[in-house]
Amino acid sequence: MSAIGDRRVDPGLSRNRPHGNVGVLRIAVVVLFLVLGARLVQMQIVDGAEYAERSELNRIIVESVSPTRGLIFDRNGQPLVQNSGSFTALITPGFLPEEPGSRYRLYLYLEDLLGIPALQIEEAVTAAEERGQRDLPLPIARALDRETALMLEQVAADLPGVTLSVEPRRVYPGGPEFSHILGYVGPQSPDEWRVLQEDGYAFNEVVGKVGVEARYESALRGNPGTSITEVDAQGDLITTIEHTDPEGGRSILLSIDSDLQRYVYDLLTNTMGEATTAAAVVMSPVTGEIYAIVSVPTYDNNIFSLPDPGEEYQALLDDPRIPLLHQALSPVAPGSTFKIITAAAALQEGNITRYTSRDVDSSVLEFIGEDGQPYYFYDWRVHGEIDLVGAISWSSNIYFYMASCGIPQEGIVGLGANTEQSAIVLGYYARSFGLGQVTGLDIASTESPGVIPSPEWKRRVRSGPLFNPEDRDWYLADTCFMGIGQGDVTATPLQMAVATAAIANGGYLLEPYVTRQILGPDGTLLSTTEPSRERVPVDEEHLAVIRQGMRQSVIDGAARLAALPDTLVAGKTGTAEFIDPEDGITKERAWFTGFAPYSAPQVVVTVFYDLGVGGTKAAPVAADIMGYFLENVEP
Amino acid sequence: MSRFGVEGSLRAWDRFDAILALTALALVGYGLVLIYSGSLGSYDGPTASLENPVVRQGIFALIAIGAMFVISRFDYHVLLHYAWWLYGASILLLLVLIPIGQTDFGSTRWFALGPIQFQPSEFAKIATILLLARFLSEQGGDARDLRVLGGSLAITAPVLLLVFIQPDLGTTIIFAAIWLGMVVVAGIQRRHMLFFGAVFLAVLPFLWTFTVADYQIERISVLLDAEEDPLDAGYNPIQSQIAVGSGQLLGKGLTNGEQTQLDFLKVKTKDFIFSVLGEELGFVGAMALFALFILLLMRGIRAAQIAGDIPGQLIAAGIVITILMQAYINIAVNLSIFPVTGLPLPFVSQGGSSLLTLFLGLGIIQSIVMRHRAYRQF
Repeated sequence: MSAIGDRRVDPGLSRNRPHGNVGVLRIAVVVLFLVLGARLVQMQIVDGAEYAERSELNRIIVESVSPTRGLIFDRNGQPLVQNSGSFTALITPGFLPEEPGSRYRLYLYLEDLLGIPALQIEEAVTAAEERGQRDLPLPIARALDRETALMLEQVAADLPGVTLSVEPRRVYPGGPEFSHILGYVGPQSPDEWRVLQEDGYAFNEVVGKVGVEARYESALRGNPGTSITEVDAQGDLITTIEHTDPEGGRSILLSIDSDLQRYVYDLLTNTMGEATTAAAVVMSPVTGEIYAIVSVPTYDNNIFSLPDPGEEYQALLDDPRIPLLHQALSPVAPGSTFKIITAAAALQEGNITRYTSRDVDSSVLEFIGEDGQPYYFYDWRVHGEIDLVGAISWSSNIYFYMASCGIPQEGIVGLGANTEQSAIVLGYYARSFGLGQVTGLDIASTESPGVIPSPEWKRRVRSGPLFNPEDRDWYLADTCFMGIGQGDVTATPLQMAVATAAIANGGYLLEPYVTRQILGPDGTLLSTTEPSRERVPVDEEHLAVIRQGMRQSVIDGAARLAALPDTLVAGKTGTAEFIDPEDGITKERAWFTGFAPYSAPQVVVTVFYDLGVGGTKAAPVAADIMGYFLENVEP
Repeated sequence: MSRFGVEGSLRAWDRFDAILALTALALVGYGLVLIYSGSLGSYDGPTASLENPVVRQGIFALIAIGAMFVISRFDYHVLLHYAWWLYGASILLLLVLIPIGQTDFGSTRWFALGPIQFQPSEFAKIATILLLARFLSEQGGDARDLRVLGGSLAITAPVLLLVFIQPDLGTTIIFAAIWLGMVVVAGIQRRHMLFFGAVFLAVLPFLWTFTVADYQIERISVLLDAEEDPLDAGYNPIQSQIAVGSGQLLGKGLTNGEQTQLDFLKVKTKDFIFSVLGEELGFVGAMALFALFILLLMRGIRAAQIAGDIPGQLIAAGIVITILMQAYINIAVNLSIFPVTGLPLPFVSQGGSSLLTLFLGLGIIQSIVMRHRAYRQF
């Protein structure tokens, strides 16, 4: 220790060193703790309540609990949709590791496990982050098989930001023939999300896109429950504070008979011939309920719950026949089936009676046009002397020119005092039979209203640089062609079925529907669709004449092939001419619309092919459908 | 025995500052309670176990208190004598840390010695205080001379820079405060202080741009607006603010703080232990802690006041400044008026090496108090 002593520090080297500076330290202590104290007063006393509220928000999570989606059954209780589970891998970008290297290692790990390229995951995450959706779980792989899902669940705890969710999935066991009716569900679009989040929809919750799934979305979805839980910082459940169970979605009982739907679908696809698209509607003329509504071609609505429907979806979009389009809701020229409406208009207006007859002794009728030139209008054969029943039965064009536009050179007036008025009167009757407007069928689909032309309509749509001024004028020919369902008239097969039903049931325009009943989650009946009907402005005696003509047509007229051995069928064929825009050749569309039994109609059937002759192609198919219906379906 | 340390040393026990020691013990006890509450979520083993953080901290405290008594037995001039050696060792350790230290959260601050983490900057604080005290007292304890001031700065600058590059902003500030406090006590002239203040302000933008680590800039900007990035750098400040603020006047009760118990608070037995206190014991609990700290610091300042000689006074002042600044910065971080720096709350936070260093410091202060009559010069 002596060595230390030699280097001893002399403490008293300077006697004049300034003293008392330790007082500065006291001031420093007081000042610094005053600063801290003041801040504490501000945080705990002044703003304390606000922080207490934030502390609550921190740990209390209010979530909506998705209900089980309702089911859809056919009229006999056959299930047309099932709920099943679908495993989805989700990434919440906000919880991913910050460091790019460890992030990418996580992506690579997922690539191994899920088979989704790491780069693709990275792109999706980056895109979500750029959208500002850091805290929303982002689906990166859907419809995982059970084994992968279990493996993911095991490792997810060690992969920050990665979670596995079991999402309900809709499976449609009925087959593609039901796709156009049922539609499908899918993830919400950004626009839908903006609206639906107000209704408590979760971001990943699916929503009905088209068909019954979309039209009855609110009934099928049910009411979400609420779960209020206390969680810790990791989001793990601590306690459940409040829990209300979701109310399961309501189930829907369709008026569709699934066996009939299948039968009609198979029948149409097997009788297509040169036709590329076809449609058929089977409905009740009493209630308006639809028994079957078929569109060919169709699509498989199950592909929309595939992990990546891209390829198959693209194939649907590329198909020139437009399988996603509902043919029964798409308008085309109704051709001669429209004559039943012309007949109703003429009878009611009184410009012809059931006894008005005309000798169609030539298949050509010469009209003198507005320009003084002769125009030749054709009938499809020489009918000879026919009255109205015969004209409907044999589908005489010349008779219906007379009934609609009149024959001016013979002094026969049409429906109105002049050409334009005749068209307006005919348009009024066509609309009152449901044409030119949507029927309101309860399928969320692109139902088109079709066109019932009028002089005013023609002036409006034929304006513009593509048309000559004279294209806008309404000519005699416009009214005449309208009278036989040609020219600019278009109607959907469903509209023709509804119009036919109004004739069959004695003058009631029905609103067609596919949903007969809505059932509660426990199967109790909640509501039954009430038929909605409106009187058409045509007297029953006139409608009886038209029915007679339609009956006659099946007995020995153009619709002979629609006859059934033990049921009296009535119907009207249609063969609408059109010029194929691709090759410029005049082709024909095949129509048949009719009902049975004649005296007490139970079913209306409308059949349409985009190529073919009504009497030979559509009529026999309609007869088969009616026969099957009367034998197998309980109305 | 040699000449020094003997006179009066046996009689000196009745001059032992029991208030200082008991205040420190009270702070440690306060800390044990908070560590208990803060570790409920992470520790669920038996109470009597070395794994129990409360037990561990208690054992460290016993060791540290023992060390305080041992050190107080020694004359602090022994330490002054070895000041250069201790200082040299500190520099060496800080240098060695650069290649082989443990890096956590982008900062290299400690060695792992088996289960114990050794933080050289803790050791360097004591060594620097001792060397500054020796240097300044050798110059007559008079910092009015610019050369003396320059010399003291030359002693402080190397450790300060080595700590700064770890990077450890909090400890850097503490070194700066130690130097400033000690030269103030040693009588720095006002114009010199203004000069250094001006130099500091002139260099600040340069430091900011070129040498402050990105994480520090992020933490400072997050401090200005914590909500800017609530899940990353802003997370801890937001959660500690919510914890402290929601404690209000009386707190939510020990072990009842949701922010603490549901793990929204992080490092809650260490850097954010004050938030646990704020949440569970409220404003009243915080004032009690402040009272203990103020009492402890005032007793330390008393030691500086009555110290028998210049180095004794300067050592006591340096230790007081260290404890004051460490407590201030830690609490300021918890209250979001200072960027997150990773400093423990003295005596309260869980951590053996910090506790040991603090009680060593107290031991030196006791040594000064116990010998103040023996070295009475003025």
